[in-house]
Amino acid sequence: MRIRRIQATLVRAFALIVVMTIVLLGAVSLNFFRKTLVDAAEQSTMQFAAQLSRVVDNYISYMNDIALVVMDDEDVRSYMAAPAASVARDRSRIGQFLGSIRKVRKDIDGVFLVPGRAAEGPSLDVLPAFVIASSPGEGVNPDYDFGRLAKKVGATSSGDNPFVSSAHVENMVDGRYPWVISLVREFKGKDGAALGYIQVDLNYAIIEDLCKSIQLGSSGYVFILDASGDIVYHPRQQLVYGNLKTERIGELLGLHEGFLTSVVDGRDILYTAKPSERTGWIIVVVSYLSELLSESRRALYTFMLLAILCFAVSVLVSSFVSVRISRPIEALRRSMQEVEKGNFDMDITVECSNEVYQLARDCDIALKKVRDLIEQNRKEGEQKRILELRALQAQINPHFLYNTLDSIIWMIELGENQGAIDVTSSLARFFRLGISKGSEIITIRTEIEYIETYLSIQKTRYKSKLDYEVAFQPELYGCRILKLLVQPLVENAIYHGIKNKESPGLVRVIGAMEEGAMAIRVIDDGVGMDQGRLEALRSSLAEPLGFDALAGTDPSSGGVGVRNVQERVILYFGQGYGLSFDSSPGIGTTATIRIPLVLEADP
Amino acid sequence: MRDRGVFIMIAVALAAALLIAIAYREDSGRPRGMDKVVAIFKTSGTANAFWESVSEGVESGAQDFGFDVTFRSPRDEIYVDEQMAIVRSAIAERPAAIVLAASDFHQLVGPVREAKAEGIKVVCVDSFIETEDADAKIGTDNFEAGQKCGAALLRLLPQGSRVAVMSYVQGSSTAIGRETGLRDSLGDRLEVTGTSYSSSDERIAYEQAKAILAHEPALAGIAALNLPTTLGAARALQESGRQGKIALVVFDSSPEVLRLMERGVIQDAIVQKPFNMGYISMETVRALLSGKKPKPYTNTGSVDVDKANMFDPENQKLLFPVSGP
Repeated sequence: MRIRRIQATLVRAFALIVVMTIVLLGAVSLNFFRKTLVDAAEQSTMQFAAQLSRVVDNYISYMNDIALVVMDDEDVRSYMAAPAASVARDRSRIGQFLGSIRKVRKDIDGVFLVPGRAAEGPSLDVLPAFVIASSPGEGVNPDYDFGRLAKKVGATSSGDNPFVSSAHVENMVDGRYPWVISLVREFKGKDGAALGYIQVDLNYAIIEDLCKSIQLGSSGYVFILDASGDIVYHPRQQLVYGNLKTERIGELLGLHEGFLTSVVDGRDILYTAKPSERTGWIIVVVSYLSELLSESRRALYTFMLLAILCFAVSVLVSSFVSVRISRPIEALRRSMQEVEKGNFDMDITVECSNEVYQLARDCDIALKKVRDLIEQNRKEGEQKRILELRALQAQINPHFLYNTLDSIIWMIELGENQGAIDVTSSLARFFRLGISKGSEIITIRTEIEYIETYLSIQKTRYKSKLDYEVAFQPELYGCRILKLLVQPLVENAIYHGIKNKESPGLVRVIGAMEEGAMAIRVIDDGVGMDQGRLEALRSSLAEPLGFDALAGTDPSSGGVGVRNVQERVILYFGQGYGLSFDSSPGIGTTATIRIPLVLEADP
Repeated sequence: MRDRGVFIMIAVALAAALLIAIAYREDSGRPRGMDKVVAIFKTSGTANAFWESVSEGVESGAQDFGFDVTFRSPRDEIYVDEQMAIVRSAIAERPAAIVLAASDFHQLVGPVREAKAEGIKVVCVDSFIETEDADAKIGTDNFEAGQKCGAALLRLLPQGSRVAVMSYVQGSSTAIGRETGLRDSLGDRLEVTGTSYSSSDERIAYEQAKAILAHEPALAGIAALNLPTTLGAARALQESGRQGKIALVVFDSSPEVLRLMERGVIQDAIVQKPFNMGYISMETVRALLSGKKPKPYTNTGSVDVDKANMFDPENQKLLFPVSGP
C-alpha cells in the first residue's frame, strides 16, 4: 500500500470540499440570479412595449377625435351632403378650418375630406376638385388613386371603427410625399347614408422619434409590425426589405403577445411583443440579453474571484492545519525510529497540545518503562554475576587452604619442622594479606605477593625439584586484578606440569602490557599436554560455564581452577578477555590470562 | 514536496484570478476605441438625395458595427483633383479604413495605392477604380441595371420602335455599364437612334432632348441614364406635349422623378439601393478589420419601379426619404 502523507490528503480534501461547495453554490445562486435578472428584463421590456402601444393607441384615439370633431361641424356636414351645390367660398372656409387643425397640431400632417358615394357626389374623374385638404395653398394630386382608398376603407372599416393604415407615403397633395399613418372614417349623413370619407394623417416622424428615443442598452431597438406583418417602423427597414437583416416576423405575428428568444450573430436576443389594441399593430422590443445580463456576468466574475480566493485560503489553512497535525506525528515517528535502532536513552517530547501529544507522552512513558526494565534486568544480571563471582571466589579460598594445609601435614610427617613453620607462617601472612577479606579486587602488587607466598610454600614442598620466577612490568604494579586469578594457574603448572616430571622444573609468572591489555603468562617446562588434551581443555574453556555447572564439581580437581579463572574473568571483565593455553608434550605448557588494564584509582 | 504542492495550487489560483480580472476588463463596456473610418463620396449627401441615402446607410452600419465615421466629399462630382486631395489628407489622419466613391476611374488609383501602402483598408462604393487595389467593391451592377432598363422599354414599346439613349459622361464606367446592359437586352428588337452625353447637366440634357424630339418624329422611347439627364429629358418632353406618348425610362429617383411618374411622364425608373451600399460598406470594413476576407464585389442590386408599384411598402422606403421635402 502506498503511504500517503496526511498533509497531502488533508489539503486535497479541503480544496475539493471548498471547490465543490463554491461551484455548487455558485451555479445554483448564479442561475437564480440570472433568472431573476431575465424576469426583471422581461418585465421592463414588456413595460416599454406596453407603454409604446398605449402611446400609439392614444395617437389613434386622438386622430379619431379630430375626425369626429370635423364630422360634427355643421358646414362640413352640409358640404359633404351636397358637395356639388357648394360654392368656392364654402370650400375655402372648410379648408381653413382643416388647416387650423393642422397648424395647431404639428403631429397631424393633413386632414382630408373626400366626398363621394352620395347621389349628388362627384364622379371619380372630377373628385379631386371636390376634395378639401388641410393645406389650401397646395392642390390635390390629380393622379391620386381614390379608387384604391375606397377599396381599402370598404374592406377594413366596419361600422364606427375607423381604418388605420400602416406607415406609408401620402401623395394626396400635389408634389408632397410625406410619410404618414392614416386614419380613414366613413362620413355618414343624418340618415346614415355614406357621404364619403374623412382622412386624418399622423406625421410618421412622431412614431419614428418615439421608437428611436427608446434606449435599450447600446444595441436594443424597437420595431412595429402591422396586423398583416408589414413593417410600420423598423430602424433598419431597408435592410429588412433587402434581406440583409431578418426578423422573425412570422413567429412574432403568431405569438401576438409575449417573449421570444433568438440567437443572431452569436448574441442572445429577447423579443418582447405587445399588440396595440386600436391598430392591431404589434410593438416589438428587441433587447440583447448580454446587455440586460451584464449584472449577472459581473456577479459571475465576482463569484469566480471569490471562489479562487476561498480556494487559496482553504489550501493555506488546510496546509497549516495539516502541518500542525503531521509535524508532531513526524517528530514522534523520528523518535520511534531512533528507538527502533536501539537507542532507548532518549526523551520523546513533541511540541503540541492534542492527542498526538498524549500519544507521544504515552510512548515516552512506555519507553521509560522499557528503560527501567532494561536497567532492572541489567542490575539483576549484575547481581547474579556478583553472586557467581563471590561463589567462585569462595571456592578458591578453601581450595588454596586445603592444598597448603596438605603441604604442612606432609612436612610435619617428614619432620621438617622448620619447613612446616615457614609454610604455616607464610599461610598466616597469606591470609593476613587479605585472602579472607571482603575485597575481590586487589592490586597486581598484592597478587604478586600471593603468588610468591604460594610458590614459596610449594618450594618448601618440592625443594630443588621446583624453581620459579615471577616477573611483572613495574608499570603494572598499580593495576587491579581479581584476587587469586593467577594462583590456580601456578598450582596447575606445578601439579600437572612439574610434579610428574623426572627432572627439576621451572615455573615462570610473567606479566606484561600487550595491545592495551594486560597479559599474565604462567609458563612451565613440565610434561606438557598432547594435542587431544589441549583441544579438550580449550573447548571446555570456550563453553559458557555457568555457576551451576561449577557448583557441582569438586573444587580440588585440576580443571576446576582453570574454569573458575576463566569464568571469573568473563564475569568481571566481560567477553573478549579470559584464558588461553599453549602446550607441547615434553616441552611445557603456557597459560595466558588477558585482562583489561584497570588502574588503582578505578573502582 | 508538500510546500511545492501548496505553492503550485496558490500559483494556479493566482493565475486564474488574473485571467478572470483580464476577462472582466475586456468584457465590461467597450474599452477598445472605435475604429476610425473616413467616407469620401463624389459629392456631399446634403446636396444629393442619392449620397444622402448612402450616408444614412454608412451611419446605420457605423452604429451597428462600431465605427467613428467622418464624411468628406468634394463640392461636385467633376472636381476629381479635390477628391484626390481629400483622400490624401484622410491618409494622413491614419484611419482604419477609407470608404471611397471614386469620381474618376483612373485618377484615384494613385491615392488608393497610397492608402493601401499605409495599411489603410479601402472599400469602393458605387464607383470603382480601374485596378483591383481596393479591398472590396460594393455597388450596383450597372450592366444588370441597364438590362432592366432595356426590359422595361421592351415591355412598354412594340417591337421595332425607335428609342434614344441619353447618357451622361462618355467613358464613365457606370455609364458604359448601363448602356451596354441596355443595348444587350434590346438586341435588335428596338431601334436605337444614337447616344447623347449630357455631362450630368440638366440644362444640356434638356437641349439635347429637345433636339432629339425635333428630329425624331417617330421616336417611341427615351432611356435617360442618370438623374440630371432624366430631369432635362422630362422637361423637354413635357414642353413638346408628347409626354405619355413617348416612353421615358430612367435611372435613379427623386421626389421630382416620382411626381413625373405619377403624372405619367416617366414610365419606369431603375432605382439603386444607396442605403444598402452604405450599410454593406461598413459591414465589409468590419470584416476586413477583423481579418476576414469579404466578398471582393457585392452587387447591391437595383429595383424596377413604375407607377403601379411605387407605393408598395417595400419601395416606399427606397423611393421616399422619411424626412422628405
